[in-house]
Amino acid sequence: MIKNIWRFRAAILPGSIIALSFLLLALSIFYILFLHTNQIEFSFNFLNHRIIHLIEFTIFQAFLSTLLSLIIGTLLAWSLAHQNAFFGRNLLIALLSSSLVLPTLIVVFGIISILGNNGWVNRALLSLFDTSLGNFVYGLSGILVAHVYLNASFAARSILHVFESIPKERYKLSKSLGFSVLTRFVLIEFPAIKNSLKSIASTIFLLCFTSFAIVLVLGGSPAYNTLEVSIYEAIRIDFDIPMALKLALIQLSITFFLVILSSNFHTGLSNIKTASTPVPWREPIATHRVQILIILLCSFLFILPLISIVVDGLGANFGRIFHDALFLKSLFTSILIASCSSIMTVICALLMSDARRNFNINHRIKKSKARTLIDLLIAFSGNIYLAIPSLILGLGFFMFSQTFQGPQVLWALLALLSANILMSLPFALSILYPSMQKIAQRYDKLAFSLNLEGKSRWFYCEWPYLKTSVAYVAALSFCLSLGDLGVIALFGSDEITTLPWYLYGLMGSYNTKDGAGVALMLLVLTLSIFILLPKVFTRNFRATNQ
Amino acid sequence: MKNKSTSWRYIFCILLLTTLLQAQSEKPTLVVYAYASFAASWGPGPKIKAAFEKKYHCNLKFVTTSSAISALRKIQLEGKNTKADILMGLDKSSANIARKTHLFMEHGIDTSALSLPIAWHDTIFLPFDYSYFSFVYDAHKTHKVPHSFDALLKMPKDFKIIIEDPRSSTPGLGLLLWIKAVYGDKAGDYWRQLSPHILTITKSWSEAYGLFLKGEAAMVLSYTTSPAYHIIEEHKSNYKAAPFKNGHYAQIEVSALLKSSPHKALAKKFLAFTLSETFANIIPTTNWAYPVIKTKQGLPKGFESLYIPTHMLLLDDKEIETNKKHYLDEWLNAL
Repeated sequence: MIKNIWRFRAAILPGSIIALSFLLLALSIFYILFLHTNQIEFSFNFLNHRIIHLIEFTIFQAFLSTLLSLIIGTLLAWSLAHQNAFFGRNLLIALLSSSLVLPTLIVVFGIISILGNNGWVNRALLSLFDTSLGNFVYGLSGILVAHVYLNASFAARSILHVFESIPKERYKLSKSLGFSVLTRFVLIEFPAIKNSLKSIASTIFLLCFTSFAIVLVLGGSPAYNTLEVSIYEAIRIDFDIPMALKLALIQLSITFFLVILSSNFHTGLSNIKTASTPVPWREPIATHRVQILIILLCSFLFILPLISIVVDGLGANFGRIFHDALFLKSLFTSILIASCSSIMTVICALLMSDARRNFNINHRIKKSKARTLIDLLIAFSGNIYLAIPSLILGLGFFMFSQTFQGPQVLWALLALLSANILMSLPFALSILYPSMQKIAQRYDKLAFSLNLEGKSRWFYCEWPYLKTSVAYVAALSFCLSLGDLGVIALFGSDEITTLPWYLYGLMGSYNTKDGAGVALMLLVLTLSIFILLPKVFTRNFRATNQ
Repeated sequence: MKNKSTSWRYIFCILLLTTLLQAQSEKPTLVVYAYASFAASWGPGPKIKAAFEKKYHCNLKFVTTSSAISALRKIQLEGKNTKADILMGLDKSSANIARKTHLFMEHGIDTSALSLPIAWHDTIFLPFDYSYFSFVYDAHKTHKVPHSFDALLKMPKDFKIIIEDPRSSTPGLGLLLWIKAVYGDKAGDYWRQLSPHILTITKSWSEAYGLFLKGEAAMVLSYTTSPAYHIIEEHKSNYKAAPFKNGHYAQIEVSALLKSSPHKALAKKFLAFTLSETFANIIPTTNWAYPVIKTKQGLPKGFESLYIPTHMLLLDDKEIETNKKHYLDEWLNAL
């Protein structure tokens, strides 16, 4: 094993160093917080019935959310994969990911505009049929709706990618064998998407497990709180850092367990997407109708809230917003941080995936206990953000800034940047890693025999397959950073503000109208990045290749 | 990679600029920790800063966090290194949390000019504005409004209210104490009966008020001074505070001076300034609350139409401090 690690050191070292530094960061955050608290006795007497109920509810809620998101996401991806030539398809796919990266509060308000008590749907129902859905958007059902809204679109987009990479020969074969739609799904499509489903499921579960803002706005009552909320409570209300740390450790162990579960996959030799050539025949008419219906329903669910954000935002006084120096400063800071974190996320994710795949491919490093352990550690380091509550992360950085005196601005930027990179990594890895692993499985022998190494291997063997995913990851992490409010709460000062922070400020002082305007700008910015960035990437590649 | 190096260059330039600017100014800098909307460009912060800097030839810097409690936590975390001279914006009901940290000193300011609904004896915390908690409704949509907590229970099933979480929001805590002050030991029962009328409990005032403006519920827990914003800024008079016969719980915002402050004399001048005419004239239309002194100018036009509670409720600070956990548990178990 050591010999083989040495043989692939060029691939293993950079990624491992990154993974290791993330793990060290997590450890030092816990360590510095322990230092700042008085002696902690490790007793479990704090596990009162409320905390246990919270853990139970959090797991239950996350499980349901994940299940629903996966079902809807798969259905939508399946429909889109087979309906690949309708007007506005590309725009719809771009829109699908935008909900995930908008500030949660905006999304929640968009959903409420549509499904709320006084939402469009209810008003339409009242005027047409004199009935209404009532308050179903609050409480558990509300949490589920919002989580499905945020995550099903992400799942659909990632799974669609896998659907499109299924070799067309298999479809031809299934056609000639006269498979029914269901048999085709069971024998051809499901095996292809199975692995992605697992990794997407674990990411979504973790996201819902640590969900904070949604649960608080739509949960409707403290009975529907999550662990993350109680951590917030412990720090804010009782200033009980030991308690917060204990809760954080519980969360950490649950998430760690999940990561172990989810990374125990054996990726079989699967497919890599090259080009999406359409299958040359149409679906049976009934299936065709079902698929169209699914696409229509989902578009309705995913796009209406965005439209309501536009409608609300148009009433803002844009002249006043653009003349506000604070706004311009927030915009600049946000874009700067988002650009940096986007580039860094792509680099980290590629290097980490490159390192991790060595520990999952038998012809590189033989299977052993040690190999599995390293594989797990790298997988876990990419999911740190989901394991450690963002409040604890922010608190840790804050403590660093106190311990090592430096300019606050620098610390704030560093904290924001690190938090944003960590936040985007789970998505980035769940998108890039499966592809990179498949590439190695398929082309390693060829690449080794041709002595393709380093840069040339990257250009001829990896990049053509990763191009679209990399563009997507870059756009995703850019927008995630743009909409993030998490760690800034502790560092906020007049020196550093971001757009979501500015938006919150507006909302916190009756100025909901201008707040809606800023939300609209965030939406426009997010969508343009999502639509333009992939184009830039593919063009760039052509330029370098000529 | 080119991108990255330019962005670092930017950061470096910004840092260089800030240090240069700091080096340039020989004036002392007073640092005030406050909540974000206080120091925002539309809040009272900028006007107060301009007036105070002009008067005393110094720099005034606001450092903001999402709430005053967070600002206090920030000071506690910073410990000896804190740059804060003054903490602004704590609610009187939470002031004891700050008192117990022993980080604050007596203000030594003459409070005889204060015109609050209650007498003020606190020697550490100084009030700078106040308002009353109340439910706000839209008169265009809601025609039948409850005028007491009991009447609220008797409203039809679809009459919904939006409230804030007492664990994370000042108005949320305000309602908890308000109901405690009205119902005492029966507060838990009251919450149990109220729960069907609660549409949702939000993390902060912003979300709650935003949902209310979207028309999601009949009433939202806010302040008696909230309608003033709509009257003055939007020329809308349909938002009103519902008068409750039980009386209204007050929110009095206070500031305090840190023992560790290197500019105590200047900080005291600032505290005295918060009781000045200038300050009192800025507050109403920026922080949407009542100033703590009577001014020659009086309140701005629009404030005269607001409902002013005749009966003000306040629980004793020490009582709140000892029982807060118990109140919260009672609330949690009821919902």
